[in-house]
Amino acid sequence: MEKILDKKRLGDWVDALADYEVLAPAWEEDAWGYQPVNGPIRLDHPNTKQSPKRLAFPQREVFFTFEQIKGEAPRLTQTLPEAPRHAVFGVRPCDGRGVPRMDQVFNDYVEDVYYNTRRKNVAYVGLACNKPPNANCFCLSVGGSPVSTDGLDVQMTDLGDRYFVKAVTETGKALMTAAAGVFAEPSAADKKQLKDMHAAAVAYPQRAVNDPDGAPAKLKANFKSPLWDELARACIGCGICTFLCPTCHCFDINDEVQSKAPLKGQRVRTWDNCQFPDFTMHSSGHNPREGTGARLRQRVSHKFQYFHENFGMHQCTGCGRCITECPVGIDIIHVVNKVAANAA
Amino acid sequence: MPHNIYLPNLARVIYTKDEVPGERAIRTFHLEPMNGGWFDHQCGQCAMLSVFGRGEALISIASSPLVKGYKQFSIMRVGRVSSAFHDLAMGDVVGIRGPYGNSFPIDDWRGKNLYFIGGGCGLAPIWPLITTAVAQRADFKNITVFYGGRTSRDIMYRAELEKLRGSVDVHLSIDKAEEGWDGYCGFVPAAVMDKDPNPNNAIAITCGPPIMIKFVIQNLNKLGFKDEHIYTTIENKMKCGLGKCGRCNVGKDYVCVKGPVYSWAELKYLPEEY
Repeated sequence: MEKILDKKRLGDWVDALADYEVLAPAWEEDAWGYQPVNGPIRLDHPNTKQSPKRLAFPQREVFFTFEQIKGEAPRLTQTLPEAPRHAVFGVRPCDGRGVPRMDQVFNDYVEDVYYNTRRKNVAYVGLACNKPPNANCFCLSVGGSPVSTDGLDVQMTDLGDRYFVKAVTETGKALMTAAAGVFAEPSAADKKQLKDMHAAAVAYPQRAVNDPDGAPAKLKANFKSPLWDELARACIGCGICTFLCPTCHCFDINDEVQSKAPLKGQRVRTWDNCQFPDFTMHSSGHNPREGTGARLRQRVSHKFQYFHENFGMHQCTGCGRCITECPVGIDIIHVVNKVAANAA
Repeated sequence: MPHNIYLPNLARVIYTKDEVPGERAIRTFHLEPMNGGWFDHQCGQCAMLSVFGRGEALISIASSPLVKGYKQFSIMRVGRVSSAFHDLAMGDVVGIRGPYGNSFPIDDWRGKNLYFIGGGCGLAPIWPLITTAVAQRADFKNITVFYGGRTSRDIMYRAELEKLRGSVDVHLSIDKAEEGWDGYCGFVPAAVMDKDPNPNNAIAITCGPPIMIKFVIQNLNKLGFKDEHIYTTIENKMKCGLGKCGRCNVGKDYVCVKGPVYSWAELKYLPEEY
């Protein structure tokens, strides 16, 4: 399904999606973030500071609550999410490509019911990048594209005064059908313009991982390289790289206690971070990833080697957030290129 | 509703025994599942245990799959959850989910000589194998157990080990000589060399502190054991047990799913991240 949407009618489309809570990028305080749409909607953001991964994988969620009177068996009550249906607008192609990677992790081997319950209620309405919105974009070199539809339900492309809107999935079709009246049929000129815009978007120069296909073998060969310590020397272990990443999925599980007698509390999942020393520290004190070099190697190798070995695709989608936001300038493109160029 | 992988079953503590005293005490528990929450397991698999309000930890199942009705765990007091276990009383109720991980290929080992080499708390993960092999004694040729503790007070399963004598060669060792100790004095890798085990038609299974495992494997290689005939079980910090939380990986493998059991032929090619 391909349609044309006059920019002035974007709000009408959003209004027609009464079954959904609609989110779109908004400037809040000092950053772009996904916010509920109340009023006029504009899609002129570069990219959001955080990826939309939290809609299916929130930073904190309760698995179940427990209550126990001393000497008695505890009562567990599972709290499966009552996830509202979300339609999230303005998703950039790199973040779209994060979605199937998260789906892979949370459904590999066994199903994660918390993730899936939320995930199936999220519709991703993408916005193609006519030119890279960020100096550190590198989607093309990791198998993506500024016009990729991977992971998206709908792809919108800005044609100036109107959007070219294409349904990618059945969910996407339903979103468009819900507001059939606001769309027009695309003309041959619209289709030509879309084709030209997409061709220009793909041709726009970007930073690049030099040899993404060779990266898994090169990283593997350089596992013991002293380069890792050298490249990680500035790292302060803040973990911003992974928190902002559209594909980082590591988490912690802990018990939070509200009352000790009778015992009342909840088991909670929170995002965790491979850049933190205690992420892998055994209770004996032994730590298999002792230094920042080993932890940088874990982050980069997970993206560009291990995930590829397991699932045949890189876990990095080239959004560039970890580069832009790193307080000490650690640059994953530079790291992969430097290590891959090293004769192990 | 799909199965919720994070929701534990409840289990009651029906037996406890203090194995080893001191700062790093080891205590054995039998947990009896409640509300029909029984699951079968294989030798080498683990379970995620929880004390509600304190958290979860992944622990090796120390009882044989042949034992029905309860599962045994021997837990060293080192962290938040393991300490909470040491504070439990008979009848207390805990959480259990599992089983997790792969298992020892015991069926491939019938008709072979088995050498078990354990140190410290590392006897617990191989105990299901030892007790299963003994229960099916006629299926195996010679069975030998090497086990060492730092001192005589650090020997776990002491009474059970003594009971094995007769059908199994048991060689106990301690690091330094003590009055009244008639077993080997020295580290476990040396205790193994002292008995010169024969690699023909044999499988060696070792578990213990990483440094012990390293030297045991070196010595086994020296004795002529092939890498594919040496097995060990490793552990890393784990939160989910299901290949999702992202911390227990050794290279591309999540130990909770692809491990914890590895032959040395497999493990020697993985990065040393354990």
